[in-house]
Amino acid sequence: MSLVEFKNVTKNFGPISVLKDVDLNIGIGEVVVLIGPSGSGKSTLLRCINALEDINGGDLVVDGISVRESRAKVRLIRQEAGMVFQQFNLFPQMTALENVAFGPRRVRNLGKAEATEQATALLAKVGLADRGHHYPSELSGGQQQRVAIARALAVKPKLMLFDEPTSALDPELRHEVLRVMQSLAEEGMTMIVVTHEIAFARQVGTRLIFMENGNIAVDGDPAVLLDNPENPRLREFLQHVH
Amino acid sequence: MEFDWSVVWQALPELFKGARLTVLIALAGLAGGLLIGIGAGLMRAYGNAALNSVAFLYIEIIRGTPIIVQVMFIYFALPLMADIRINPLMAAIVSIVFNAGAYIAEIVRGSFLSIHKGLKEAGLALGLPLWKVLVYVIGPLAFRRMIPALGNQFIVSLKDTSLFIVIGVGELTRQGQEIMAANFRAVEIWSAVAVFYLVMTGTLTLVLRITEKRMPIL
Repeated sequence: MSLVEFKNVTKNFGPISVLKDVDLNIGIGEVVVLIGPSGSGKSTLLRCINALEDINGGDLVVDGISVRESRAKVRLIRQEAGMVFQQFNLFPQMTALENVAFGPRRVRNLGKAEATEQATALLAKVGLADRGHHYPSELSGGQQQRVAIARALAVKPKLMLFDEPTSALDPELRHEVLRVMQSLAEEGMTMIVVTHEIAFARQVGTRLIFMENGNIAVDGDPAVLLDNPENPRLREFLQHVH
Repeated sequence: MEFDWSVVWQALPELFKGARLTVLIALAGLAGGLLIGIGAGLMRAYGNAALNSVAFLYIEIIRGTPIIVQVMFIYFALPLMADIRINPLMAAIVSIVFNAGAYIAEIVRGSFLSIHKGLKEAGLALGLPLWKVLVYVIGPLAFRRMIPALGNQFIVSLKDTSLFIVIGVGELTRQGQEIMAANFRAVEIWSAVAVFYLVMTGTLTLVLRITEKRMPIL
């Protein structure tokens, strides 16, 4: 059964068509890596899944709920689809622990003690048990992004969306974020990852999608596609990112 | 001429009475103005077209007319138009509330919209309704950015209460005027009145600085 289902989805920003009749099914447990040149629509596709962008045509169903339904239903989609942003977007007035406990408290309406307990466990899971009382400004980029992953996980989503999670990080900080993402994939989390990390796509991805001009140009097994890219545009793209 | 301190001592009880009224009008104005300002500011920033237009119209009418015309309208014109009788103090409080509210609305709108869009998205992406994102995430950050501009507005409003002399509210300036009319000691009385205002605005500045220290802009 598919968790995310795009049916002829179109999306425009004014006169510019960003997604053109996209059809896509993503099943439970898949780790889908989305690559493509900038402006190809990969981030927009991701942001349509949790309705941060409205779609203009077709339908998009996430865990049985259409993004076109009421605002209350859309909130249920967002609770099932955790999101990690390129710029982390941690709440700067809250400590790491408060950031992670925020979802359980305000979305799941848990008491403070219980929310803090869950947050502590999640921070430990991303390797930041000793950083709970630090504010985001006191953490490195890699640490902030791991807190952001924990914050998204705290709402107990069925699906995780990653929008270029390592693009704002120094090379030596990327691997700590990628390692957390890899262990998440190994636990069976369904993940959709927009990234330029080709090694991650090969090692962790179960499916690779190459987007170009608002279309899904290539869709298949990462190892096969990366070792032997038949699509000429994909081949050219890979030469630039390697 | 010689500065006669005894004139000041004699005037103090009356001036204190006036200052009490000034503080009362100003505090009511700031509290009410803050409430209306937050409401109108959020309507401007996040409301649909209808709410936005209502708030816009309100802000434009208030900002576009002098406060002295507003209070004259409320005190003298409203009773004729709508048969609403209103005492001078109420008229003063209502005018300062609506006047401050319009300016505070723009302060609120500006500071809410200045908060990085990614934080709003991060809140929404967790599955919260917009109002909760505004209350728990954007609001606390926006408030910190409002403090300097709010400080300006609070001081302006406090001093604007002196204009209510025109409808006979016995606030500080009015008291000074009445004492002066009786003893003609302009230097002593107006110096004393000025010091009273300085103490009030100074206290406000101090409160704002302490708040700002405890809640730094992030």
